[in-house]
Amino acid sequence: MREKMLLTVVALALAAGISPASAKEWKTVRFGMDASYAPFESVDTKGDIIGFEVDYGKALCEKMKVTCTFQNQDWDGIIPSLLAGKFDVIFSSMNITAERKKKVIFSDMYYATPIGFAAQASNKSNDFSPEALKGKSIGTQSSTIHANYLEKYYKNSDVKLYPTQDEPNLDLASGRLDYVLGDLLVEEDFINNKGNGCCRIVGEIKRDPEIHGPGVGAAFRPDDTDLRDMFNKAIAETDANGTYDKIQGKYFKKSIRGK
Amino acid sequence: MLQTAQDFLSFIFNFDLLQEYGWRLVAGLKITFEVVTISVLIGFVLSYFVCSARMSRNVILSGAAVAYSTFFRGTPLLCQLYLVYYGAGEIRPFLTDVGLWWFFRDAYYCCIFTFSLNTAAYQSEILRGALSSVPKGQIEAGASLGLSTYRIARHIVWPQAFLIALRPLGNELISMIKASALAAIVTLLDLMGQTRFIFARTFDFSVYLYAAVIYLAIVELIRRVWGRIDKAFSRHVIAAAR
Amino acid sequence: MDWLGLIFGPDGWGGLLLNGAIVTILLALTTIPFGFGFGLALAVLKLSKSGIVRGLCEGYTTFFRGIPDLLSLFIVYFGLQALIDRLSSALQLTTHIELGPFVAGVIALSVVVAAYSSEVWVAALKSVPRGQQEAGQALGLDRWKTFALVTWPQLIRVALPGLGNIWMVLLKDTSLVSTLALVDLLRAASEASKNTTRPILFYSAAAAIYLIFSIVSGLVQTRLEKRANRGFA
Repeated sequence: MREKMLLTVVALALAAGISPASAKEWKTVRFGMDASYAPFESVDTKGDIIGFEVDYGKALCEKMKVTCTFQNQDWDGIIPSLLAGKFDVIFSSMNITAERKKKVIFSDMYYATPIGFAAQASNKSNDFSPEALKGKSIGTQSSTIHANYLEKYYKNSDVKLYPTQDEPNLDLASGRLDYVLGDLLVEEDFINNKGNGCCRIVGEIKRDPEIHGPGVGAAFRPDDTDLRDMFNKAIAETDANGTYDKIQGKYFKKSIRGK
Repeated sequence: MLQTAQDFLSFIFNFDLLQEYGWRLVAGLKITFEVVTISVLIGFVLSYFVCSARMSRNVILSGAAVAYSTFFRGTPLLCQLYLVYYGAGEIRPFLTDVGLWWFFRDAYYCCIFTFSLNTAAYQSEILRGALSSVPKGQIEAGASLGLSTYRIARHIVWPQAFLIALRPLGNELISMIKASALAAIVTLLDLMGQTRFIFARTFDFSVYLYAAVIYLAIVELIRRVWGRIDKAFSRHVIAAAR
Repeated sequence: MDWLGLIFGPDGWGGLLLNGAIVTILLALTTIPFGFGFGLALAVLKLSKSGIVRGLCEGYTTFFRGIPDLLSLFIVYFGLQALIDRLSSALQLTTHIELGPFVAGVIALSVVVAAYSSEVWVAALKSVPRGQQEAGQALGLDRWKTFALVTWPQLIRVALPGLGNIWMVLLKDTSLVSTLALVDLLRAASEASKNTTRPILFYSAAAAIYLIFSIVSGLVQTRLEKRANRGFA
């Protein structure tokens, strides 16, 4: 009976053109990314994913001697998709938080960047306290640390959540939003490269350790501790031999490595 | 095996979740209800004009009506919504000049605007089909009785067309309820929006199933009530057919 | 005229749009045999003598016709994968079976299309009188030949207009897959408009391509209906 069911499942799988992923022995590692986060990851005109985390991820794969593939996945579904086995690692500017640790395990932190508010260029106020932003519309990406931060501290503002970070930026540029909360490097990239000076950075927020955690790490399924260990080893190696600095130098003026 | 079954059951039902986030689903339902009701009503009024334009002898008018309904029925609603929502953002200076920016600034109005235009296209086709299915002889009969054009329309054509249109209009209402879930993608916290919000917080799959049950209940309710209404209005027709 | 460069230039987004358009068409075409086939099977079961079978099939249709297609897509995309995982762990399979975004998209759309099309098939099946089957059998044809030569040509004639409408719905529903992880036409337009901050240009371009698909589909449908109606003046 069991054999028969097994056969049916396998036959179904084959009929649907599904390839069983290689078991345990890691030869290929599939990266999941939300490619709407330049300069960390975005899509170029050919549809390929480019950015700091792609270059860095490739460097890690070289160290680990595995082939890697990169998949684009909307942020809202990125943890469910990892858990559902649609890829093996989330390598997408995901901050290491207690909330997420309930679902996934993280590698060591591999970068930490300032977080803050952007506003329209015409807005001259530098006060971004919850009182000052009362009744103002603030946009950010849903299911992020930024969304959680706004929910905790900016209860009296009109918080709008978007599927990607690009979308609140567009709405800030058009004036639909008064403020956007996000990674300041991403906001700067948008303002300089796409926003045509529409907007400006207002200031950096103080990290709330409960919400923000120490920085960004790679996330894995809880069972894949071996893969996490491989990543940790590779991260340390790229730190030691200068590869990390070489790659980040291509994208950033200041070091983002963090401690 | 029992463990798996239990595991799977908790994957489907999670009542703690409902306790903590249930109010969000109710709030979302209210937004869905508003958006759909307003859009369908505006669409109904608009569809009358589109249909009249379509059936007019003026080539430009009828051509414009054909183009309108081809566009709105031939492209995905999500694409139309993006076009209105993000397109309005792009032409903000112009919209500010003509004093319409306050309207397009709001995701709520953008959704109602897009949904109304979309459903108007579908409803106008329903109306046109119904009107043209009234036999020509009926109109001629009215004319031979010396009735004015208005009275022919009011007492002969429209009542019959309305009866024919009733059922497809009900179907259109149902498809609007289902299509309104797209509003979530442009930040509106309708039923689908709240569902996505809760899922983003909890990664608990059961919230999608709760949303499904709610949508299903509304749609089934409307289907049944509409069926009753349809039956009540067309009682004499059935009697005549006997 | 910078828009020409944005689409057709060496660094333009036209290529991505074109790829997206191909994905959209492939997605819709691949769904058709599964969706319509499964729908026909459902329809046959709905006409079965067993009340349980009928009830189950009606329940399936009611469920997927009653919830937003976007929601069906999410449920199938994430739920089906979870179901497969649980099933394979219950069966103690060692290999991990994984649905790619394209396959998952096709399955999700097929599930919806099956529900919609089963209604059309039921009406069509009922329209072919029983006597036709009996006549076929009286001529000594086996069941399969009776179906293929006698029932099917009459069936498809009645079903075509309804199936054509569902095809149009499907064509537009593929755009919902853009919210998952597949770069279809709408997703391509979305990427382009976010990178260039020119949403009007790219969403209009996408709308134009969808419109072409719809109009061509309409023409093909008229052709097919004419063909199916040969001999039925």
